[in-house]
Amino acid sequence: MYLTQKTYIREQMKLAGLLFENPYLMLMMQHFGINFVVQDKSVEQVCKENHINKEIFIAFANLYNGFKELDATRFSVSDIHSIIDFLKNSHHYYKEEKYPEIKNLIQDIVKINNTPEIKLIERFFDEYFNEVIDHLKYEDEVAFPYFIELTKSGGQSQKVDYSARTYRDHHTDIETKIMELKKLLLKHIPLHHDRILRRRLIISLFELEYDLTIHYTIEEDLLIPLIDHFEKTPDRG
Amino acid sequence: MAECNIHIAVIEPSHILFEGLSNILLKGNPHGRILRFDSLEELKDYRHRDNVEVIIINPAIIMGDPNVLSSSKKLFQKAQWVGLISSLVGDTFLRLFDAIIQITDTPESINNTIAKVTEEDCICSDPAADELSNREKEVLIELVNGLSNKEIADKLHISKHTVISHRKNISQKAGIKSLAGLTIYAITQNIISIEDIQAGS
Repeated sequence: MYLTQKTYIREQMKLAGLLFENPYLMLMMQHFGINFVVQDKSVEQVCKENHINKEIFIAFANLYNGFKELDATRFSVSDIHSIIDFLKNSHHYYKEEKYPEIKNLIQDIVKINNTPEIKLIERFFDEYFNEVIDHLKYEDEVAFPYFIELTKSGGQSQKVDYSARTYRDHHTDIETKIMELKKLLLKHIPLHHDRILRRRLIISLFELEYDLTIHYTIEEDLLIPLIDHFEKTPDRG
Repeated sequence: MAECNIHIAVIEPSHILFEGLSNILLKGNPHGRILRFDSLEELKDYRHRDNVEVIIINPAIIMGDPNVLSSSKKLFQKAQWVGLISSLVGDTFLRLFDAIIQITDTPESINNTIAKVTEEDCICSDPAADELSNREKEVLIELVNGLSNKEIADKLHISKHTVISHRKNISQKAGIKSLAGLTIYAITQNIISIEDIQAGS
């Protein structure tokens, strides 16, 4: 057994201390578009300086620390923009940073471990990567613009054929295959001169999965209910 | 895949009691983790709360209101509730718990109490738990060859329903659902050879 519990974050806590405990909060801050060198500032101060709703920041930070307290009723329509900005920044991180990193690692492994299994892993990843790109593109180009338009027009969107429900039906999880890749690389495919690269690849997959899981939770349990509610009662917020 | 990671949530305001209890649990139970919460509210917000199998709580936290305990129990139906008793607590209240730890209990009896409430959950000592049966291997081969459930049923003379149940077990044991993933898995397990794949595609 081991103790893994992280701190339940509250507004008066020093942010730097929390970053030392869970460095992935730096990534969260990157998704918020803010600097992570914060000296002795508290969570509340950092939010205030960066004009971020501290409720959202704390709820998301607690997600990174393993607590799910996403209650859509506590947020309003004015928060939709910052939630979408956060999600868009995450997309950018996946597309421009994380997936290319994984792709490069796999290519490096193929060079030294030229077995059929690894070749199939490369194919598996490439196919999966294309699915992910489609998924992100759909959100960036169809779903998010609709949500933004909805908030601007006070809940009366021109696009009558679209809604939070359409989005939900279209929303598929993109992290299951990451889990499968991890399992194959860590448990089943024998090492063949690629031990160090393999470890780096697996750890990178863990990091991606961690962030994707939170990303998905925010979309499913916060964004969709919020939009859904706003569609039904547009005057709120 | 067999899941043996027992999550034990401890809601105990006293650091001394918490540290002491977790030290005893760490020595006693090799599979699982201990999570500390300051309040029931925090536990309710915990992201993986459905994984929590044992909740050890000091009744002092919810004293005076057995209703709080009863309603919380409904939220965590899968979990076993263990009272950590450090002061006098009424009998009617104690009866709401699945088990009781007294602070005067020995480490052995504390670990026995936890072992009893988690008895059926741990199957990780069985090395064959994740291994495919011969029938499952046959189904996997046909799956990888691209046959549908119906085609596999006809070929192996079993019902479609049985094929679906085999597929479920295969995915569970391998921890892999996608066909592409299962193909790679089948190669690493020597269930099919890479030549079979190349000949097929």
